[in-house]
Amino acid sequence: MTDLVQWAALAPLLALAGAFVNGLFGRSLKEPAPGIVGSVAVGAGFVLSLIAFFGVAGTGEAVRVGFGDFLTAGSFTLALGFHLDQLSVLMMLIITGVGFLIHVYSIGYMHGDPGYSRYFAQLNLFVASMLVLVMADSFVLMFVGWEGVGVCSFLLIGFWYRDLANASAGRKAFIVNRVGDVGFLLAMFLTFKVFGSLDIQTVSAMAPTMLYGSAVLTGIGLLYLLAAAGKSAQLPLHVWLPDAMAGPTPVSALIHAATMVTAGVYLIARTSAVYAVAPGALATVAWVGVLTALVAAIAAVGQTDIKRILAYSTISQVGFMIAAVGAGAYWAGIFHVLTHAFFKALLFLGAGSVIHALGGEQDVRKMGGLGRRMKVTGTTALIATLAIAGVPFLSGFFSKDAIVVATFTSGVLGGVGGEVLYALLMITAGITAFYMFRWYYLVFAGEERLERAVSDKVHESPSVMTVPLVILAVGSVLVGYLGLPAFLADNRIAAWLGHATAAGEFSHPSVATEWLLLLASVLVAFIGLALGYWVYVVGKGAMARRLGNTPLAGASRGAFGVDALYKALFVDTGSGTAEAVTLLDREVVDRGLVGLSGVVPLIGGLLRRWQSGQVRAYAFAMLLGAAGLLAAVALVGVLK
Amino acid sequence: MTAVLTILVPLVTAALVLLLRNSVLLARLAAMAGAVATLVLAVLLPGSRPFSAEWLPGLGVSFSVDGNGAASVLVFAVTLMMIPALLVALTRVEKGAAGFAALLLAAEAGLAGIFMARDLIVFYVFWEATLVPGLLLLGLYGGEKRREATTKYLVYAVTGSFFMLVSILALKTLSGAASFDVIDLMLVTPDLPVVTQTWLFIGLALGMAVKLPIWPLHSWLIDLNEQNHPSGAADVLGSLYKVGAFGFFAWGIPLLPAGASRVGPVLLALAAVTALYGAFGAIGSTHLKRFLAYGSLSHMGIIGVGIFGMHLAGLNGAMYFLAAQMVSTGGLFLVGGMLYHRRRTFDLREYGGVARSAPALAALGLLTIFAFIGVPGLSNFPGEFMSLLGAFKNAPWPAAVATLAVIAAGVYGVNLYQRVFQGPSDVPVKDLDGLEMYVLLPVVVGVLWFGVMAAPQLRRIEAQSQLTALQLERVAAPPMPGETLTLGGAE
Repeated sequence: MTDLVQWAALAPLLALAGAFVNGLFGRSLKEPAPGIVGSVAVGAGFVLSLIAFFGVAGTGEAVRVGFGDFLTAGSFTLALGFHLDQLSVLMMLIITGVGFLIHVYSIGYMHGDPGYSRYFAQLNLFVASMLVLVMADSFVLMFVGWEGVGVCSFLLIGFWYRDLANASAGRKAFIVNRVGDVGFLLAMFLTFKVFGSLDIQTVSAMAPTMLYGSAVLTGIGLLYLLAAAGKSAQLPLHVWLPDAMAGPTPVSALIHAATMVTAGVYLIARTSAVYAVAPGALATVAWVGVLTALVAAIAAVGQTDIKRILAYSTISQVGFMIAAVGAGAYWAGIFHVLTHAFFKALLFLGAGSVIHALGGEQDVRKMGGLGRRMKVTGTTALIATLAIAGVPFLSGFFSKDAIVVATFTSGVLGGVGGEVLYALLMITAGITAFYMFRWYYLVFAGEERLERAVSDKVHESPSVMTVPLVILAVGSVLVGYLGLPAFLADNRIAAWLGHATAAGEFSHPSVATEWLLLLASVLVAFIGLALGYWVYVVGKGAMARRLGNTPLAGASRGAFGVDALYKALFVDTGSGTAEAVTLLDREVVDRGLVGLSGVVPLIGGLLRRWQSGQVRAYAFAMLLGAAGLLAAVALVGVLK
Repeated sequence: MTAVLTILVPLVTAALVLLLRNSVLLARLAAMAGAVATLVLAVLLPGSRPFSAEWLPGLGVSFSVDGNGAASVLVFAVTLMMIPALLVALTRVEKGAAGFAALLLAAEAGLAGIFMARDLIVFYVFWEATLVPGLLLLGLYGGEKRREATTKYLVYAVTGSFFMLVSILALKTLSGAASFDVIDLMLVTPDLPVVTQTWLFIGLALGMAVKLPIWPLHSWLIDLNEQNHPSGAADVLGSLYKVGAFGFFAWGIPLLPAGASRVGPVLLALAAVTALYGAFGAIGSTHLKRFLAYGSLSHMGIIGVGIFGMHLAGLNGAMYFLAAQMVSTGGLFLVGGMLYHRRRTFDLREYGGVARSAPALAALGLLTIFAFIGVPGLSNFPGEFMSLLGAFKNAPWPAAVATLAVIAAGVYGVNLYQRVFQGPSDVPVKDLDGLEMYVLLPVVVGVLWFGVMAAPQLRRIEAQSQLTALQLERVAAPPMPGETLTLGGAE
């Protein structure tokens, strides 16, 4: 079985091969050949991932696939390899499974685009990088994937690069991500200083022997959190994700919803052994997650762009995942990664289907009633909306409930406001239900507000796009049953991931309390939806307008002005510094050292007088000088 | 003999090209044949036998060269990049192409000599000799302000070298070493009194810091790159002008470990400043070649951090970075030359949307930019990572400051790509032609090779780094808990 599992190492290579084929020869391929090449490469990866999954399930053992050394210094060597265990094969299934569906969808969505083959090359390259990220057995190889997905994200956000706004959105994403990447680098340097190794399994095995709660361990934890915040768009590095919506919508679905933005959650779950001995860092993780979830949910309410609402929703939902891993419930965080991959990819692809039908319109105020004319898109979007809102028996309900209960019962958070975190997450869950009702209602229900020219063209998307929607909808309903509350049934996913992550400490409340917590989750979801109904259906537009004039609504629309703040703080300061440096260099360093001391004019003048200013001449003089020096040395040698 | 041939073949080829300069075809053939032969020799360097012949026995000078150690990796990078540089020089230089090619080949020989010298005087002679082709390339083929740039380069280099020469001569006399051979020197120089070592090291450091270059002794580099021939061919041999780090690595630190330990922290801090300063300089530049010069200066800062962190991993990494950056930096100078060939300007504000009409140029430009800013999997990452990793172990704060340059690199890297290749296209340009494809092929190969195949090359460098680390250990104070100079990577 182990031999079979090793074949999974080919999954990223296949995606890479797909990228090469499309990148080098794509321009001579006819549509839809590049799309098929890309989809097959990822689909084959899914098959390999399935084999690896069953292999690991069969033996329960992790499998390592090695590729030899990469870096070496003295007794330190860094070998490259893949570590296939319960955690990484689950992530591989998500990446290749959802990735495959999105590739297929893209065949229809990108139809007729002049960059068709370039698109699939970059999307395949992304899948390859993302697979490397989750399969890596060392921090360094993980960083290769980590920066690789950042590069692909940059390319795909700025895919339509002739519009500078798109290119700038890609640039912003790349730079903000690099801030997180520096956190990753520094975390690695500190890990190396403390552990003397960058192999994840070695570090994980050594971590429990380290001094519990020591400053360096907390430092390592906080630096990896910085890395996670960059990639997963958490406070304070969340600003790039809303702008990232400039990319093609399937890209938003795959990279900026289902996979790449969950890399931070994966990183923290992967390093859970370190966090287990750094409780301060872990509590900070939880707080960052909860605050991000709340702030982004509030911001989602005020947006009017069909994709920006979903972008803020993604930031908020990833905040839930980060909160889960911060509470020590690593399985719950990854469980939400899984369910979210289905329903959020579905929401984005649904949005893409709408944008496709409306010829590029993205303003929800100019939509409405589309569910009646786009039956498949509307129905699947409704399922996804209910799933993310936390309606019982759909996937989002189970994973979100697992997270809020974890914050309530977490031992790590016991002393640092676990109950407060629980309350904030419950409020956020309510807001989530509200803004998702708003999103669905404004797009798919109520009266049509389309412009006439657009209205005539509305059509359901072709089946190459709707079939992936249906499959994702089925998943959005069913995957939640992998993680039923433990007091009701066997929790399969918690048991599965328990092999690969550290065990968190949790108090075990009575079954009655568990039921109460569960009911509270149900209640919050319905309150949120009911509020949405009350504001948008009962109160019609008037109620929404009245609410829209409040200061909170203003802050929500502007996402609390963080962008403007950062521009003043970092962008302006940075470019100011850059200008100052170039000026300083020209006017002071240059002149101060040479000009002001008069050496250059002096020597220059001497040379000019001596050799009539010919550059050629004093180059020859130099040559003669060097020859003279050699001759002198040689002569002295002979004489001696 | 391989080592000697690696110096002689390009030198003889240079003379041959000059002789054949009236027949374009023959000159081209000779130049390319010589460059390819040198590349083959460079590949054969690892494991080759050291060469030593008496030169000035009275002075204790012998012509000793050895192609093993860091030299094998550095010379490989130089000879690899000579191929595209010569291709460009022979086709894009309008007047005196043969002379240009001959100077490049002479510079190649000089660089090989610097990296392989195992006698301090031989090292110094090559160090000075490479000035000549560098100056002539700039002075004869440079841009409008070539005279100012040449003078500045000359002044900086000669002034620095003067102090270096004094130190070199004093070194043998004061230590009473049997000869200028590296081993003879290393046996006795570390026993010199700390004060003597410190002054001698400062003398060496003045010459080497100019050519690292380190802030604030760097400004000649920016002007030099700006004024060099627009094709970028002269800038490709980047380490022609940036050999300082190697000097510290192979001579300065191992010969005077106690002096290096005293002065090192100052240089470490300056190197960290250089890393950030260069990066900000690149962000603020609108002239493509100045931009690349500043970006490269930032890399040199990180290399300096790796060296002066004085940890084995950093020493390995710095030398690897020095070799690898030649590929990406040189590659970008060539891409810059191709852009200039099309638009006749280096002003970045004039560009935009080139990706539309020249997608292949954009794709390869992007790959090289990503290599330049240290994206893992490509050439600059392993060396940059190891430099900082090692330095961080011994000196966390300066290393952390230098690491911030990674963010700034992200800024200038994507700025450059956006300014040149993205946005609406006003002026259509033609895409890469066949020749340019061949020019960029070695760049692509090198970018991937250095990015992926780091371990075997790091091992070759390490054979030499171990010596440097051992010398440092000889003078290290009795181990203090926590912070000491450490030999191995992991304890």
